[in-house]
Amino acid sequence: MKIIREFSKGFWKENPTFRLVLGMCPTLAITTEAINGIGMGLATTFVLVCSNLLVSMLRKLIPDKVRIACYVVIIAAFVIIVELTMQAYFYSLYKALGLFIPLIVVNCIILGRAEAFASRNQVAESLADGLGMGLGFTVSITVLAIIREIIGNGTVFGIHVLGSSYLPFLLMVVPPGAFITLGFLLGFMNMAQK
Amino acid sequence: MKDILRLVIALTTICVAAAVSLAFVYDVTKEPIAQSLRQEKLAAIKAVLPEYDNQPDQAVQTVALGKDKRGREQRLDFYVATYNGEWVGTAFASPAKGFGGELLVMLGVTPDNKLHKTKVLKHRETPGLGAKIEKEFIDQFANRTLGVGELKVKNDGGDIDAITGATISSRAVCDAVNDGLKLYSERFEPPDKAAGQRE
Repeated sequence: MKIIREFSKGFWKENPTFRLVLGMCPTLAITTEAINGIGMGLATTFVLVCSNLLVSMLRKLIPDKVRIACYVVIIAAFVIIVELTMQAYFYSLYKALGLFIPLIVVNCIILGRAEAFASRNQVAESLADGLGMGLGFTVSITVLAIIREIIGNGTVFGIHVLGSSYLPFLLMVVPPGAFITLGFLLGFMNMAQK
Repeated sequence: MKDILRLVIALTTICVAAAVSLAFVYDVTKEPIAQSLRQEKLAAIKAVLPEYDNQPDQAVQTVALGKDKRGREQRLDFYVATYNGEWVGTAFASPAKGFGGELLVMLGVTPDNKLHKTKVLKHRETPGLGAKIEKEFIDQFANRTLGVGELKVKNDGGDIDAITGATISSRAVCDAVNDGLKLYSERFEPPDKAAGQRE
């Protein structure tokens, strides 16, 4: 039961993007197209699950005073592994996301979960937490990206949905559009919470 | 003292383990990455040239372009494509400064001095705006005869349709094409002459 709870909290109750408001850098930078949201979300999920697993396994061996440095090394190593593997075996995906992969390092969700959860909990719970948080993040930024793509470009996943007569609202594609969309979504989340 | 030793050992172990696993992954992926990069280059060359049957990335004519501001050697590779041994086109990449940084355009020129096709290799333009240079915009440069004036966007008196809201990116592509074609006319040696030397 506890594991299911740890997994599901990432989607709503402790959603990293809309509840914890963590990881804003990739959230705002890459959500111009829905496909970027999914790719970035899944890559982040992979790093998050791996780092949560390792941090949880090593939690009794890592001394408190150097824990942050250790987490950073672990996370950075996984990010480079993801980058190299993607470049070698999934080159077309790498072409679309290459610029954003190094951004995973600065995503504070990962360090946040390592520090707040994985370093204090068992391996199974940490895995569930990582997976839930990662997928919650994926869903959130994909929703954000879909809204921006529809309004800003008239397409979803590159497919025209609003007809060719639709005039794209360019503000939504540039960074201010990301802030505006995020603000509205946060507002709706807060309203729904009450 | 004992405490410090413990910290040092823990951090060192983790860093060494990370370094070893990264070295391993780097070694395993080195070959496939080089392959992917070569495939990408060949795909770009193929996209801008008529049909050929040689390996253009192994028939390269390199010219030195002098040094850039930081003193690094600049060079340009012309990829020469042949079909049944006959020269059918030359592909090369040309840079320009776009809105978000450097962009790189691959140009394909046929022996009758026509710009066959063009393709954007690399850019950092705004997604959804300047990034559209990759799509239909770039096809406007196909089938142009060389040496009849520069290619310009309509605002500057040319006949290229600029992308709405991304005039700087559109101009940058024009610059890349114009600069590239200028270098081609000045520096590229048609392979017929070169072939004579080789025999």
